[in-house]
This record gives sequence, structure tokens and C-alpha cells, in this order.
Amino acid sequence: MKRFITAIAFAALGMVPIVHAAPSGTFRQAHEVGFGNASDVDPISKGRVFAITEKIMNRLVRPGIDGKPAPDLAVSWSSNAAATEWTFKLRENVKFHNGKAFSSADAMYSLKRVLDPKIASPARGTVSMIKEVEAPDAKTLKLILIAPFADMPLVLTDYRLMMVPDGSGDTIKNTGIGTGPFKIEKLDPQGTTVLVANNDYFDGPPGVAKMEIIGIPDEQARFQALMGKQIDLMQGITRQQRQLLERSGSFSLNDIPTGNWRGIVFRTDTKPWDDPRVRRAVRMAVDRKAMVDLAAGGAGVIGCDTPVGPKDQYRSAKTCAQDIAGAKALLAEAGYPNGIDLELPVSTLQDVWPAMAEAFQQQVAPAGFRVKISQVPSDGYFNEIWMKRPVSMTRWNDRPADTSLNEVYRSTAKWNESFFKDAKFDALLDAARAELNFDKRRAKYIEAQEYLWVNSGTLVGFHATVITATTGRVKNFDLVENMGIRWHKITVD
Amino acid sequence: MFKLLLRRILLGGLTVAIVSLIIFGAVEMLPGDACTALLRQDAQGDTLRVCREELGLDKPATSRYLDWMAGAVKGDFGLTAHRNKEVSELVGDRLKNSLLLGLCALALGVPLAFALGIAAALKRDRWLDLIVSSLAIAAMTIPEFVSATLLILVFSGWLSWLPGIVTASANAPVSAFFPQIILPVVVLAMVMTAHILRTVRSSMLEVLDSDYVRMATLKGVPYRRMILRHVLPNALLPAINVVALTVAWLLGGVVVIETVFNYPGLGRLMVGAISDRDLGLVQAIALIVSTVYVLVNLSADILSLLANPRLRTSLGRSH
Repeated sequence: MKRFITAIAFAALGMVPIVHAAPSGTFRQAHEVGFGNASDVDPISKGRVFAITEKIMNRLVRPGIDGKPAPDLAVSWSSNAAATEWTFKLRENVKFHNGKAFSSADAMYSLKRVLDPKIASPARGTVSMIKEVEAPDAKTLKLILIAPFADMPLVLTDYRLMMVPDGSGDTIKNTGIGTGPFKIEKLDPQGTTVLVANNDYFDGPPGVAKMEIIGIPDEQARFQALMGKQIDLMQGITRQQRQLLERSGSFSLNDIPTGNWRGIVFRTDTKPWDDPRVRRAVRMAVDRKAMVDLAAGGAGVIGCDTPVGPKDQYRSAKTCAQDIAGAKALLAEAGYPNGIDLELPVSTLQDVWPAMAEAFQQQVAPAGFRVKISQVPSDGYFNEIWMKRPVSMTRWNDRPADTSLNEVYRSTAKWNESFFKDAKFDALLDAARAELNFDKRRAKYIEAQEYLWVNSGTLVGFHATVITATTGRVKNFDLVENMGIRWHKITVD
Repeated sequence: MFKLLLRRILLGGLTVAIVSLIIFGAVEMLPGDACTALLRQDAQGDTLRVCREELGLDKPATSRYLDWMAGAVKGDFGLTAHRNKEVSELVGDRLKNSLLLGLCALALGVPLAFALGIAAALKRDRWLDLIVSSLAIAAMTIPEFVSATLLILVFSGWLSWLPGIVTASANAPVSAFFPQIILPVVVLAMVMTAHILRTVRSSMLEVLDSDYVRMATLKGVPYRRMILRHVLPNALLPAINVVALTVAWLLGGVVVIETVFNYPGLGRLMVGAISDRDLGLVQAIALIVSTVYVLVNLSADILSLLANPRLRTSLGRSH
């Protein structure tokens, strides 16, 4: 009987709804100070430290845990039938850290700042389809676009499109006043930035009372800080580091597939890569599974040269095996029966590049590609080598499907690294953008990706899987790509 | 004496000026500039052009160097490359922190080096000497980043006694650096102690083997008195120069230590400034480091002059 009562008591305890406890404890995280002295907390500046802005500010739309757009400061949205006008209903009762209420004027100001050519924000290209921003009333925001765009909400999930108070452009880089779950107590991007819980946060008080965002430029030093439990989170540790942490047993380790990809790009405006058959042949000759195993210890997801991430709703599921005979045939057809010599410049800017290059060299050799690997400095790689040499290593960070297809492959894109100019591909993208029916739109985006597999000049080796380590005391940490993490849900013991 | 001093100071000034020219040229020769370092893949078209105009990088290198020189002579180091901070303010805090690290290491290392060096020499070829000498060689040959990593692994990772990484902000008060500063101080002191210790030991041995010490022993001078009066003063003189060289080395050596321990000092600032292509900042730090180097060497020379009557008189005779 006694045992029975105890059992009931335990069961009852288990059923008690989880009451929101007051924020408690400190969560510590390091960032790499990639922007040095230019580091600030203006979300659209060249030196934005997103490890801080993502915790103090909100977007209109955020990437949901399922990968689809989810409400943030906008609660719902709709468009006209042509997908050229979008209306966003904004959240009620949201306050900035300075007490001012958030309204459409702030949202309009924040987006117009990004579009301002004088500010020349790196985020400007992301929202280039916006022609006009309007605020019909205090809780409604209207976007008028240059051309139809069915996935406008997805675009607004970009981590830089944070909402700041109307007119705060000159001060935001130092104040960091946003609507987010944490407020800045002390800002020092190169030292330790201290954030405190915003108890008025619209989704309830956050789980931890304090966050310390510590600038540690050296990768090894960051890892040592994690080992000594001076920080609670490190994203992107190596396989070797993982083994060390596993042995200690007091860390939680997770593989998180991301949309970050590593590849090799062939300029389609230079010989011999101007012939689609040649660039297809070199990509066909690659064994992608072996490449990801060799270069990243298997920590990656392979596909058929699509830049769209493995978790994206528009990802093409196509797979492609190594095809040496097919590659040879294509080469002969294109007029290169004796093969092709090429030089591949490699730097250590990305840790997997050298191993990737060597795997590539071995794999494509039987098809007749004689690859000469040359070492180049990491410093200034993107200015001296990338988009300059006929062949070079490349890397891209996570972007929504439409953004990566547009930024990397559209004829007019400034980052069109393979100089891929194809009117048919552009038309496919336009058609997808104008399609409001999800299934039909998805079919069009997949068609565009498969078109790339046949024609593009970009070898997408794999999408990197990030190993994330947290100390054992961290709970409720979302196991998703960084930009989708709900920082206010985290608690610490 | 005064003339010599003046000449040395002028030569020192010239050295510093040449160093600044070399550093400017070297950083200028690296691929990329402050804008490409900041913008990376965004460094194209209008974004790049606007950035270069904002930072004044569109001007030719020579005019940028002369502008900087004109300011530096007046004591105005200008703003960082991204125009958001005073170089002097940024450097001031870091210099204070590097000095703190250096002084702590000196305070720990120098007395230890002298004590161990003297003890090892007095117990020559006995077990104490063997242990001290082999430890010194180990400390000298193991690179700092290896010993630093090992110490962090043991004391921070396994034992959890000490924090491994410095998380204090650059402008934090001195008290905020304890206990985080302990491991970097120990690593710095280890290498420094080893160098000084070996000099002290060998110069002690030289004096112990000298004729006048043998004479004193034969004449029956008590051991303690002989060591204190005759051996130590003569043996420790050469060590002054070694200590000075070590202090100068400290300024360069801290670059590695500061990076490994994330210590907010001049060394880490320098590494960051170079990768940001922040020429003004690199120049200011180079100026400080070379000035200190010149000053330390100068004062070591003067000290040995004062301490060594033979050098002093020979100098007097030549005038």
C-alpha cells in the first residue's frame, strides 16, 4: 500500500505542469572575434557579432525547428495572388529594451536601413526584391516587390534582418537595443559581453539569468575553454576533439546537419569549362561518399551538386554515383580524348579543403583529368584566388534554397562564382518564385537543382555536419542549425 | 658618459623609426587590406569601394605612411582602421595587461632562477645540479604552446584547479585577472627561469674555478664568506644582461602565450591587428615594443657600467 501511494505521488509529481521558473544561472559561449576592432552589434553592419545580436534582437520571421518559416515579431502573413505584395501582421505588446513599444514604424525603418545604398550593408542583396516598404497601420507591414516572390517570409529569416528601434541607426551598434530575450549589460565584443534576462520578453522570461559572450579568437583556446568548462557551448569541433570530450563523459555531443557546403568551382567562362560536357564530366568522375569520408571523417551529407541544404524543404533528393566511363565518354565527345590538365589552388582557410583537393585529384585521374594542386595563402584568398582563377576551392554558409540558388547561380548575381550565365535556369527560378502553390513551387525548385546537376560549373562536395558540444549542465538546447536556436529556452543546472 | 648616453638614445630613435618603416612595408605587402579582411566574400563592387573610401584606403601608401608619421611624432596615433576606437586607448589597456603579465613572470622567475642557478653551481655534478639542469633544458626546448597546452589540460581540464583561459575584459581591473593569470605566468616564468638559471650557473662555475677563489680558499677564507664576498658579486654581473635580454624577449614571447591563453595583452592585439590589416594599430604596437626593447638594452648597458668598476674606469680613461 505504501509503495502504491509513493507511486501515485511520483506520478502526480510527473504530471505537474512545468511552471516557468525565474531565470537562473549563467550560460557562457565564445565567439571568434572574426571582425576584430570593427566588431559591433548593429545587425546589418560589416562587423555584426551575431553571437550577440541573435540573443538581443528578433526578426519578423524566424526559421522554425521544422525548417519552415515561423512567427517571430510577425505573427501571420499573406500575399496577393501574384505574390508581388506581402502583408505581415505584427505581434502586439512587444517592447524594446528601452521600454518603447514595437510597431510597424520600427519594422519599416529596420528594413529600409538594409535597403539603403549609402549604408551598403552586406545584407542588402538578400532583400533586393523589395521595391517599397509601407506601414498602413501600427501593426501591419506591407512589402511591395519588384517581381513575384512566393517565399518572402523565408527571406526574412536571414539572421541579419533584425528589428531595431525607429531612428536608432547611429547608436544601435553600441546600444544593441532590441526586443530579444536578453539585454546588454556590458558590451565588449573582444572581451566579455554580459547579457541579462529580459523579463518582459514576449515569449516569457528566458531560462538563464545571464549570458556571457566571450571573444576568443584562437580556435585551440576556445576548445581549451570548453575543456575547462569556462564556456558551455562550442559549435564545429573536430572529430579528434569529439573523442577527447567523449572520454571525459561530462559533455553532450551532437551532430547537426547544416546547409554549409564545401566545393570546387570551375569558371564556365574560361576554356575548357565553357563546354557544359566538360564540367559535367569532371563532376561525374567524383566519388562524393569517399570525398566526405576522407575530408571530413564522414561528417557531411552528399547530394548531386545542389547548394540547397539537406534539411531544406526544397532539397532535391537525387543521388549520383561515380561514373568514370560516362565522364570519359563526355570528354571524348567534347573533343578532349586525351584528357585535360588543370591547376587547383588550395589554401587552409577551410580545414577540409586540402584533403578534399587530394581526394578530388585521385578520383578524377582515371577519367583523364590531370590535377596539379598548388598551395596559396589563406590571407586574402577570396580576393586573389576565388572568382579569379579558372578553378578554385569554395565554401558557402547556410542559406534558404532560393537565396543560394539566386546568389550563386543567377546570371546577374554578384557572387556568381562560376560565371554561370543561363537564361533557362534564370527562367526556372523566376517561375518557382511566382508559384504560390507549395508543391508546385517545390517541384520547380527541384527541377532547377537537377538542371544544375547537368549544366553547372560547381562541384558541391558535401554539406558539412557540425559537431556541437555543450557542457552537461546545459538543458533544452535546440539541436538545429545555429540561426534557428531558441536561446531563451536554454536552462543551466 | 653623458655623450655616450645621448648617442645611444639617438641611435635608439633611429632604430625605432626604421622598424616602423619595415613593419608598414611588410603589412602593406600582405595580400588584401582592412576592407577585404573585414568584408571577405562581400569585398566586391560598391560595398568594397564605399568601405575603402570610408577608411581612407583609396589614398596611396606613401601618403598614408607620412600622415601616420606626422601624427605619431606629435603623440597622436589616430583611430583604428575601422574608425571606431582611439588606438592609444586600445593600446593603453593592453600594454597595462602585458606589463602585468610580464612583471608577475619576472617576480616569480628571476628570484627562482638566481636561487636555483646558484644552488646548482655550488652542488656541481651532484643530484641537485643534475635535476635543475635537465629541467632547465626541458623548459627551454619544449615550445611554450606545448607546455601551455599541457598545463591547461592538467590543471584546468583534469584537476579543475585553475581556469585555463583568460576571459577578463581588456579594461578590467587588475584584480579581475586573478586567478586566471596564474597559468600564463607560470608558463612564461618557466622559460625565462631556464634561460637566466643557465647563465647564472655557468658564470658561477667560471668564478668558482678562478685563481683568486682558489687563492682565497688556500688562505683559509671561510666558505660562506668567500661565496658571499668574492664569488657572488663577480658572478652575477653578466646575469644582468641576460635578464635584460629576457625582458625584451618577454615582449615578443608573450604573443604565443597571450594567444594560447586568450590573454588580452599587446601580443594578442598585434595578431588581431595584422589579420585585420589594421596598419595604424600594428604600427603603434611595433613602436611600443621596439621602444621598450631599445630602452631595456640601454638600461642594461648602463647598469653594467655602473656595477663594473673596470668598465667604468676604462671608459673614463678614453675621454
